Amino acid sequence: MKRSTVLTEKNRGAWATVFTVIILLPVVFSILKPLWAAEPEVFLDPPDPRWESCFRPKEYMRFHHMDLLKEARSQVIRDGSGNGITLAGCGDCHRNREAFCDRCHEKASVSLDCFGCHYYLTPSELEELEGGGH
Amino acid sequence: METSEIAVSEELEAPAETPSLDIPTPSTNGRPVRVDPDLEFIRALQKSGGDSLKKCMQCGNCSSACPLSPDLHPFPRKEMAWALWGMKDRLLRDPDVWLCHHCNDCSTNCPRQTRPGDVLGAIRQQCILHYAFPRFLAKWVSRPIYIPILLAIPAILLGLAARYREAIGDALGFSVPTGESIVYSYIPQFPHWLLNSFFGLFSVLALLAAVIGVARFAGGLRKSSVWGPDPKPVKGVGASILSVLTKVVTHDRFTQCETDHSRSISHFFVFFGFIALTVVTVMIITGPFNPLIRGYFVYPFSFWSPWKILANVGGIAVLAGVLLMIWERLYFGHLAGTSSYFDWLLVWSIFLVVTSGFVTELLHYLRMAPHRHVAYFVHLVFVFSLLIYLPYSKFAHMLYRATAMVFAERYGREAGNGAQS
Repeated sequence: MKRSTVLTEKNRGAWATVFTVIILLPVVFSILKPLWAAEPEVFLDPPDPRWESCFRPKEYMRFHHMDLLKEARSQVIRDGSGNGITLAGCGDCHRNREAFCDRCHEKASVSLDCFGCHYYLTPSELEELEGGGH
Repeated sequence: METSEIAVSEELEAPAETPSLDIPTPSTNGRPVRVDPDLEFIRALQKSGGDSLKKCMQCGNCSSACPLSPDLHPFPRKEMAWALWGMKDRLLRDPDVWLCHHCNDCSTNCPRQTRPGDVLGAIRQQCILHYAFPRFLAKWVSRPIYIPILLAIPAILLGLAARYREAIGDALGFSVPTGESIVYSYIPQFPHWLLNSFFGLFSVLALLAAVIGVARFAGGLRKSSVWGPDPKPVKGVGASILSVLTKVVTHDRFTQCETDHSRSISHFFVFFGFIALTVVTVMIITGPFNPLIRGYFVYPFSFWSPWKILANVGGIAVLAGVLLMIWERLYFGHLAGTSSYFDWLLVWSIFLVVTSGFVTELLHYLRMAPHRHVAYFVHLVFVFSLLIYLPYSKFAHMLYRATAMVFAERYGREAGNGAQS
């Protein structure tokens, strides 16, 4: 078999360096990130003070809100009554969908199905509504 | 007459005193040896790739063809002799078996179509089998009939962990997720903390078992006869480890191979791919308290997160390397060497780990809910198998070979190094 010229005794150091640099890139990126993104990103919009009456503690909700929503969906569809959780109910306290749902979901590469059918107010609509209300 | 005779004998004796001829024989160090052939061992070698063993006529072409063999007591000729005589003890503590990188320059240069490269591979397998702790697991890993048990163990353990996750969580204090992190599990049955503690526990157990095996092996290496009667270290332990590390990372030995040169490329890809995947794994496990991640730690990473990109690139590197290995072994067997079950097991395990990983990722992005959960479970079983059977499979070569290389480095056992050079 003809000897390969891709990886040879002479260039092996260069290849190893290139691969090592590729592996270290995210580490370097993480260390240098504060240079252009000084503030740690705040994901969640601070909710309405009424959040205290949320269904479960916030730590639980952070991890399991999707399970509660899916449970509610199945119960409503199959049994006709849910566990008391509705998207509209979420929206009562967590009013800004963009800051409350979207930013985090984008960061985690988890797409949202909810708003294909359900309606959640956009910030501008919220403002309009509140302006009209007062 | 008498004086001239003495003069002649002195002349004749003179060259015998030069250091080049004063090499202690590696096999005996000057003592007579009783050969007690271990026939079972010979049969085991013949079964696992060394079937050509008995054709060897001890000409020594192999040792001169090998680019990695040291000048003093070169391999693989002496290993072939020991293997022919069934000298199991000597082979199992021989560091040279592990200095071989199986490029098969010896096998292609053999005038009798013996394949010393494959025989050394078979000896390495026997070595892992011999030193591994506990030994029965090594026996299971070396025979295809045990595959169902080997896969059932991780599947059952993972199933039990998922079944009793609430009790485990209460015991470990993980039942309520806390901290400044948002971590979604791929399957609700396998929360992130459960996988971290489960894999962490068994990694430590596997590591302990590996350390016991390698310590036994190092004890054997010390008694090897290739070092000569009174070996003196030429390098410190730290310096030897550093030097071996550089050699391993830059594939110094592999790139000297002539016959199966492409092995260096496939190994290079798999090697660096695994390092990338390990770096990302460490990052994920330490995520919630890692200073490199500021603010909220959100997992899974988004597709364009630098860590996710590294993970995907690493996975592709491993896949490319392992496909090249499979292709080499299937279609270029005369160059890559006879592939025993032991060889295939590692190659296909790695293949299954990466493909199941990518299938899970694809199903995740396709949002096929029950399918991706099943794929993820299968992926976890494969990853867990690779991890816990590391000390018993060919994967252990990284520990055994590194140990042998450090010993060789420390005692100056290098290609081109020896009393005569």
